[in-house]
Amino acid sequence: MSGAAVHLRGDVGKRLPAMSSALRPAPLVELREWGGEDLVRGKRVLDLGCGDGRFALGVAPFAARVEGLDADPDAIAAAKRNARRSGSRNVRFAVGAAQHLPYPGADFDVVILSWTL
Amino acid sequence: MVDALREVHRVLAPGGILVDARPDSRVPAYAERQKVRGYQRFGVVSTNRVELANDRSSDRAIATVVSERLFKHGRRGRFWHRVPFENLPALRAYLREHLRFVHTANWVVDAATRRRFADEPFVIRRAVRFELLER
Repeated sequence: MSGAAVHLRGDVGKRLPAMSSALRPAPLVELREWGGEDLVRGKRVLDLGCGDGRFALGVAPFAARVEGLDADPDAIAAAKRNARRSGSRNVRFAVGAAQHLPYPGADFDVVILSWTL
Repeated sequence: MVDALREVHRVLAPGGILVDARPDSRVPAYAERQKVRGYQRFGVVSTNRVELANDRSSDRAIATVVSERLFKHGRRGRFWHRVPFENLPALRAYLREHLRFVHTANWVVDAATRRRFADEPFVIRRAVRFELLER
């Protein structure tokens, strides 16, 4: 069993499916599978469809800057609360649609579609 | 979906990486009893038709932007993720409400075995696939 699953036991199964992000692997587990921290280390990262910021906040300690974008205002509100709790200073969240990204061109080194597409 | 991927291409720096990660609906998920050591398969959980269609649509969108030479295929892979449940009723309740899976497992153990172990911890083991696409 993954570390993430052990961590979640006790909550998951009681509150599902409301805790949708709890269904996913922990950010560092996913990142390790994708190739490890070097994928985002010192990089400008966009988490598209970021939801409650689970992944964006998970990779923030390694990245230079992380932007999280989601079309759901409630999810972004939750992400901002989570960011305040985590103390991450290099993460910003915004409401927006993937079809019209509110960024100038060539602004990111990595774009993540984690359980989004 | 293709529009969104074209936007991703626009905001990615040259040489940047797009990571596409999502549940792998091409393989079934499994309902498993957690034992002291390891797991015992109790059932097979299929993805519902709507989600299968959505996944195929996503695959086509990726194929389109690759054919447009906006991205190149990079490293890809698959790993397994376990979602834990306190017991079998909790797992079944989850399946009844979950949108991605069909609402009941195809059990591979008999009803008596399911009742016998119903209060023990269970997991749903599902595949997650990923691909790194290079701009």
